[in-house]
Amino acid sequence: MASAGSSSDESISLNIMPMMDVFSILITFLLMSYSSDPVIVDPKQGIELPGSMTLVGLDEIPTIAVTKTDIFVNANQIASIVGGDVPESQRSQGAIKSLYDELIKLKETNDRLAEAQGQKPKLGSLVMEMDKSHVFKLVKRVMLSAQQAEFVTFKLMVDKNSE
Amino acid sequence: MSRKKRKSRPTQEYQDAELNIMPFIDVFSVLNTFLLMSAAFITLGVIKVQVPFFTNSEDQSKPKRTLEVKVDAQKDKIELTTSYSMAPIQPNKQTFAADDNGINQLHEALVRIRVDNKETDLVTLYSDDDVTYEQVVKVLDAIKVRRENDPLFISDQADEKELANKPFVFPKVVMGSVIL
Repeated sequence: MASAGSSSDESISLNIMPMMDVFSILITFLLMSYSSDPVIVDPKQGIELPGSMTLVGLDEIPTIAVTKTDIFVNANQIASIVGGDVPESQRSQGAIKSLYDELIKLKETNDRLAEAQGQKPKLGSLVMEMDKSHVFKLVKRVMLSAQQAEFVTFKLMVDKNSE
Repeated sequence: MSRKKRKSRPTQEYQDAELNIMPFIDVFSVLNTFLLMSAAFITLGVIKVQVPFFTNSEDQSKPKRTLEVKVDAQKDKIELTTSYSMAPIQPNKQTFAADDNGINQLHEALVRIRVDNKETDLVTLYSDDDVTYEQVVKVLDAIKVRRENDPLFISDQADEKELANKPFVFPKVVMGSVIL
């Protein structure tokens, strides 16, 4: 009697070698591009950094992040941005008052630390992370506030890949 | 009738050797996932600039005739001005368009200045309020970053400090507009 459906016991083998090849290549490239930079910085959400050809990397100093809507010092929100500028109520002599106050606190901490280590207090450095669409007027306000708090060196954070 | 059991000869059987690669694939998958999660797809760099500041310390250096280089970034053009600090001042002004081509020409002009004046390593950058930060960074790139075909601006007996300036055309940039 003929069977209605032949149930074969043949085992089906899946060729996983191409997948292994892809995995190996992917892992090789990911390991090659894996950052060995000791400083890990996550740019703030909403900031599109300007592109640059610079070869200089980051180091660990306080960061001012200027998004399209806010100004942060390290992780603390310090001031807001309305229409591409800081509202007049938050400004003083062209600088941003709350930013100046925050940076003065940082400066005092740095000076106390330097004193404890037997060193002379020196002028401070800051990393500045800023959206590329901002105008120089805002850059100037931020720099002016920092300058008043004796931070005179700025490391402008840029995207090295986009050029 | 008793059947005599035939003595069987030892047969040589070839079996397919199979390597179990499933654990290997498991490890690869997990590794891939974590590498993809932690991969940084943008590489961050910095451009170092300074703002002018006042100091109480006395300037010990003797006044010297040096070249002062100023770049003024405006919305539609970029001006490059050079003059000497002492007579004869020999002022010179060049204007470039505020586009990629103009920025490349600015870079070439700055390289020529640096070749002729190796001791000058500082540029003062001015910018109008309405110039975008992106444009300012492009101008900073033109001032600071030494490109592939540019000459080296360090001497043969360069010390450690001088070698640190190897990747730059003008290592020092002061933001002249940032002043009360």
